[in-house]
Amino acid sequence: MSEQENRLLSCFASVFPGLSMEEIPGIRAQSQGIWDSLSTVTLAAVIQEEFNVEIDPEILPQLDSFEAFRTYLCRMNPAAE
Amino acid sequence: MRKEGGCSQRVKLIDALHLVRREVVDSAPETKIFLACGFTPLHLQTFLTAELRVLLPGRRISLKTGLFGDLCGNIARVTQDEFDSFIAVVEWGDLDPRLALRTLGGWHPSQIADIIESATGTVGRLQSGLLGISQQVPTIVCMPTLPLPPLFPTIPSQADSAEMQLRHAVASLAVSLSREPNLRIVNGQHLDETSPPDRRYDVKSDVLSGFPYSLPHASAIAEFLGRLIHNRPPKKGLITDLDDTLWSGILGEDGVDGISWHLDRHSHMHGLYQQFLASLAGAGVLVGVASKNDSTNVERAFTRSDLLLSKNDVFPFETHWSRKSESVRRILKTWNVGADAVVFIDDSPMEIAEVKAAFPEMECIVFPRSDYQGIWNLLKHLREVFGKSFLTDDDALRLRSIREAGVWRDATQSSGSSSEDFLKTAEACVVFEPAQPKGDTRAFELVNKTNQFNLNGKRFSESEWSNFFRDPAAFVLAVSYKDRFGSLGKIAVIMGKSCGPVVCVSGWVMSCRAFSRRIEHQCLRYLFGTLGADEIVFDYQSTPRNGPLQEFFTELLGETPTEGVRLSKERFAARVPPLFHQVEGTVHV
Repeated sequence: MSEQENRLLSCFASVFPGLSMEEIPGIRAQSQGIWDSLSTVTLAAVIQEEFNVEIDPEILPQLDSFEAFRTYLCRMNPAAE
Repeated sequence: MRKEGGCSQRVKLIDALHLVRREVVDSAPETKIFLACGFTPLHLQTFLTAELRVLLPGRRISLKTGLFGDLCGNIARVTQDEFDSFIAVVEWGDLDPRLALRTLGGWHPSQIADIIESATGTVGRLQSGLLGISQQVPTIVCMPTLPLPPLFPTIPSQADSAEMQLRHAVASLAVSLSREPNLRIVNGQHLDETSPPDRRYDVKSDVLSGFPYSLPHASAIAEFLGRLIHNRPPKKGLITDLDDTLWSGILGEDGVDGISWHLDRHSHMHGLYQQFLASLAGAGVLVGVASKNDSTNVERAFTRSDLLLSKNDVFPFETHWSRKSESVRRILKTWNVGADAVVFIDDSPMEIAEVKAAFPEMECIVFPRSDYQGIWNLLKHLREVFGKSFLTDDDALRLRSIREAGVWRDATQSSGSSSEDFLKTAEACVVFEPAQPKGDTRAFELVNKTNQFNLNGKRFSESEWSNFFRDPAAFVLAVSYKDRFGSLGKIAVIMGKSCGPVVCVSGWVMSCRAFSRRIEHQCLRYLFGTLGADEIVFDYQSTPRNGPLQEFFTELLGETPTEGVRLSKERFAARVPPLFHQVEGTVHV
């Protein structure tokens, strides 16, 4: 797992403390009862601060899983992959 | 809250979230706080909870918020009994929705007068609501910290009259609230230094999610709110060097007229330091001098009329050629305070190191002579460690009573007669009065900072203190003392409950300044007499620092005290030494 993925895992862990590190890569907004609008806003704020990126609010609804965030960050910062 | 290690970088949201989610044992006492704001509290709530977790370790933090967009309503609806502290974070949009970006209510010049009128009316409602809450629970208020929107017709460089009216209304509200003893206002100037105004507003976050603060600003506000809730007791004393510290120059070499603290000698910053120490002394901070100097020279220097720190503001002077740590040790003994409650300042890094080695728990600071900014920063730091929410009458008495305690000791030792005779002629008077749940900051302060004569070392939050008074069986007595050597002011507090023939004392503290006067015996006699008790049960616990209280009990009981120690009226009568105080102020409890 890359350093960027580890940091992303840590971001998810801070917002979803009930999930284990093994569960986080499989998390999806639709499949988890714990992922609500508040989590979305908090997660976006944490990730923006942690990775120093500005997430376009138009894109935010599409970032509905760990994998989606991982892909998004790779696209924003390919060198880190 | 800052990152560990004193780094000035603020804590990130991710770290705050991890802190908030750190487990606390179920049995931990709960601190309940209501956070009222007109916007979505979101990350401010997270940062504040994390801040309080750090400041109040071992407590469960319960932070409740009200309905978003309705600050005044939240203030009006809150049930004070359910919370330990109340926080209101006000922004311009709370005064009138048109002052926020999320509402499109119109910025036409013709509407501005109406906006001002509406905002002024809201300020009035806020004032009455917050004053009401502060009568019940400690209340913290943060006035608007974000920029006003560009609705005024002037160019941004020019202050518009309407804008000034708005700022005036808010400033007037802050002035009136800041006078209340149970209400604390976030200092806007200090916040400006910590969180630059142009980096506070997150327009995107405000418009999209209703949270207007940038993360660093939310973190800064949380840090300030946390400190005001925590309300840490200030340090008690400052020990200063003289040469190249209190003044510029070496007294022994330059002479009394050669030392300086003036603009024309480029030594003005030393004058500011003197002025600051005089300010601290006036606020009840103990100021002592430790200087390797000739004492006669120092005495002469302190007769200079242009010195900004009076000789009367300083006690004691340790001016000789012994080690600085020895001087500091003697000063601590005279003051009877711990090293952790004192700051030592000297221009010599070597002296600082020597004192620090002897007293690792003492804050030792090198005086940054010739460094203008450094001295300015020092003064601000000193205000941080010595500042207190409110001054009491007893603050002004502290130094005088310590000086008089020295006179007392000298008189006791040199009277040539027994201490019995001396106490008999001291013309001592002990006054008992009921402590008040609000406004009696001295009694609350005594309970929370006394270590040596302390029944069990228990500390009270402001709300726990207030709640104690609500029990009809509870009593809280404040004890004052004076004799022919002067007044010590309010020096003891006894609290407990009266249960028929048994009085349960749950708290008992007495200032170390009042030792050796048998005031503690008089306190017990007063309880037996006034409450008609046959027996007193003490919620006693041994602590690392309450040795003097343990000694008192041991002497009175003839054995080492244990938890739940009891004292009968008969036993007390048999063991109490003669008491010569005049007793005033009967309290019916």
